[in-house]
Amino acid sequence: MRLKPIYILLLGLIVLSSFAAIQDSEMRIDTQLLTTQTEFEAGSAIILKFSASEITQPKLYCSSSYGSTLVTPSIQENMLLFTIPKNISKKTGQVQWKLLNDATSLSGQFKIVPIQEVTSMETYIGPPSIEAGGTDYTMLVVIPTDRLDNALPDNTIVDAKHQFLRNETSDAITTKNSIAYKNIYSEEKSGRMLVSSESKNTNSKEYTITVFPAIPTNFNISALRPHNYADGNQITTFETSVIKDKHNNVVSDGTYVSFYITNHKNNSLKTSGTTIKGVATAMMIHPDYKTQWSIKAYVDGMAESDMITLDYEQVINDFEVNFSKYNRNITIGPLQSFMKQMIPDGLQVTLLVYKDDILLETLHKTSIDGIVNFNLNPNSLKKGTYNIVITTAGLEQSFKALQLW
Amino acid sequence: MVSRNKNIVRVILIASYIVIIVLIVSGIGALFGYLNTGADRSAMLHTELKKIEQYTPKVVWTPLTNEGRSMDEQSLNTLENNYLDAWYVKHIAYKTNTTAGIKDYYTDSARLNLYDMIALNTDENITIESTTLEHHPTLNFFSEDGQLAVITDKDVVEYKRLFRDENMVLETTEISTYKIVLLLEDGFWRIRHLVKVKTEDYKVEHKEIATTNLNIQGINYYPQATPWDMFGDPFSKDTIAKDFNIIKEAGLNTVRVFVQYEDFEKANINKTKLDKLKQTLDAAETAQLDVIVTLFDFYGNYDVLDWTLNRRHAETIVSALKDHKALVGWDIKNEPNLDFESRGKTTVMAWLDTMINLVKSVDDQNPVTIGWSNAQSATLLKDKVDFVSFHYYEDLEDLDASIKTLQTAIPNKTLVMGEFGEPSYDGFWNPFGSNDDDQADYHKKAQAIIATNNLQYVSWTLYDFVDIPKEVVGRLPWRKNAQKHFGFIDENGTKKASFDYISKQ
Repeated sequence: MRLKPIYILLLGLIVLSSFAAIQDSEMRIDTQLLTTQTEFEAGSAIILKFSASEITQPKLYCSSSYGSTLVTPSIQENMLLFTIPKNISKKTGQVQWKLLNDATSLSGQFKIVPIQEVTSMETYIGPPSIEAGGTDYTMLVVIPTDRLDNALPDNTIVDAKHQFLRNETSDAITTKNSIAYKNIYSEEKSGRMLVSSESKNTNSKEYTITVFPAIPTNFNISALRPHNYADGNQITTFETSVIKDKHNNVVSDGTYVSFYITNHKNNSLKTSGTTIKGVATAMMIHPDYKTQWSIKAYVDGMAESDMITLDYEQVINDFEVNFSKYNRNITIGPLQSFMKQMIPDGLQVTLLVYKDDILLETLHKTSIDGIVNFNLNPNSLKKGTYNIVITTAGLEQSFKALQLW
Repeated sequence: MVSRNKNIVRVILIASYIVIIVLIVSGIGALFGYLNTGADRSAMLHTELKKIEQYTPKVVWTPLTNEGRSMDEQSLNTLENNYLDAWYVKHIAYKTNTTAGIKDYYTDSARLNLYDMIALNTDENITIESTTLEHHPTLNFFSEDGQLAVITDKDVVEYKRLFRDENMVLETTEISTYKIVLLLEDGFWRIRHLVKVKTEDYKVEHKEIATTNLNIQGINYYPQATPWDMFGDPFSKDTIAKDFNIIKEAGLNTVRVFVQYEDFEKANINKTKLDKLKQTLDAAETAQLDVIVTLFDFYGNYDVLDWTLNRRHAETIVSALKDHKALVGWDIKNEPNLDFESRGKTTVMAWLDTMINLVKSVDDQNPVTIGWSNAQSATLLKDKVDFVSFHYYEDLEDLDASIKTLQTAIPNKTLVMGEFGEPSYDGFWNPFGSNDDDQADYHKKAQAIIATNNLQYVSWTLYDFVDIPKEVVGRLPWRKNAQKHFGFIDENGTKKASFDYISKQ
């Protein structure tokens, strides 16, 4: 019976000691976060304070937008002080922390918000050129950022400003998902548009958008020539009227215009030019025989001109042909132009040699001082009878049964 | 005589002259040939760029309803690739504390933040092994000129392991939401602004899959002609069907087969091989056998940056086969505990953990297990697996005790002995080894212990093999020869004495 109180005493001691042990460990793990602030401005000094009775110095795990690290504490009056490194405290976002001690698993979060100021207006604008007419547009994207390169929170007001001719426009837009954007439409006129933006009294640079004229509309052409003779020498110049788009803007310099010329034989010629101040010019040498040209110009796929016609008068009405040296030397000319002047050098003369209706040879020569000389080669054209045809400036002379020695 | 000698001299002179000329010409030729070697001319323009799959987290885009310009598939693809590459270079940067590659995927001002962090971590000797497992991006905005995009990446599952002075101090998985502004610069989408707007610890709960109906009496299976190369060119469904009939008639109900990681071409699963695996399951269904598919065999890297590839591998196989009637369970990895020493236990365990999570997220019907190589390791991750399996190649005397220990440690989970067996090899390399009768005796005893403990089992293996690849047990002849003789049927197709004890019958 006497054992009973001893047992009770022993049991009591055991209970007490275990209680004490629990007490002790509770004391040991009594680490708590003392900092109550959970939102900090970017760039401010962030210090997390923990109450601590331990001598050990646990590390603090910190994970921010850009990466994670471990922070070593300093101890001050029974407190653990964790100074969050600058590269974490300067970037906005949610920061997760965990105290890496064995006993407890303290963890939490705080938020870093951007500084309420705008230091730079990160501006992106594109496309850099648009078409006049009010349907095409360019997009202005602005990211207002604070001095630590953090984008400002959503619903920050940004003034999107642009100037065009006499209009200066300013629109208030708000940021969403870090960016604010606005579509800037062209007007009817072409020209340069200047764009800028402003937020919290900070202004962006000036950006330039080129408003190009829209596609050209149909236009007229005219021709200019020194005379209307088909001398194969002078040059006819074609010119367009001022080509404009449907909003009356002169098309951009360098717009390519093709001129298509069709003669009375339905042969085509092509020449081209590019516009300067809306006018394109192109040239073509005169024909060397009487013909009529029909000319039409195109800006390929976009616009065309009216059709004009030009008549070219015959300059040579007849020509002389002389045979010498056994008929092998043939002299044609003098070839005379409209004022009886010698035709300028370079008129083409063609000589065709036939025997029994079979074409044996075709010889081309151009005139020099109004005269063309042909020498029929005795090696290729043996002694015999040939038919000879001479053509120039659209005229033709035939010599039948010409004897060659 | 004189003239003959002269002729001999002449011949020698001419011959040596020819030989010297040939040598000089071939020498110049070789030099010329050497100078002409090097890059193929077609490579000069870098027209062919091969993309190597190195980072394949699961990416699920929300349907496009973005503001600004409408997004096309190709641009979105480029954006996604560059965005993931940005994550990848960041993981590498923090793992090695170097800045390689960051320039390509972060703009001038954004990359400074990473450089700062790297500098800080270098000073403190902190390295971080990390990866992301899932991304759920939404395209918020795409600018009219196609040069700027804003995305919100929701529920990014990030796994991190922090080391300080080479010691791991923290292992954590977080789920976060990021807002990202990207710019198209020099043909790269680069991160301009990155803000983590939400983050919390990621805890994944999967419902446990009941295994009370599980009644595995099976055998590990490789075809006799092609052990460890089951799904190669010689694959024959007929052979497998025939073998499965033998197994069924022997009174067994399950086979365990192996998917080799590299053989199935890692993340980018070889469709032909996957199809052969499916045919194997079809054959099992016809023979009324169940199949345990081992998802990883011959894989030993476990590196955190390899995880996304492993997960893609597992995900492809699991989603292709999860509804197959013959499937009875997934064995995540064959004998992972053998890599504890070389790769580190934490690394391997974290890998197993993430793989179990993945398989369970894809398939919530079929149970998972891990094929531990011994009974001692089988308690690891016991709460994550649906049934516990272990391999037993030790003394049969201790088997009963091992089972009892495990049953005490894991009272509420089905226990499967996933591999056991004994080679019948007493040849030159091991004259005191066991013969056919010893092997039969082994299986008789094993079946008795199995019956007493009501244990489920998968024995090793049906056939004696002729060729064992060196990757299995190395090149040592005594190991190789032993490994050849674990079968119940010998190389000539004759049933060995042990065949009588292949099952409980």
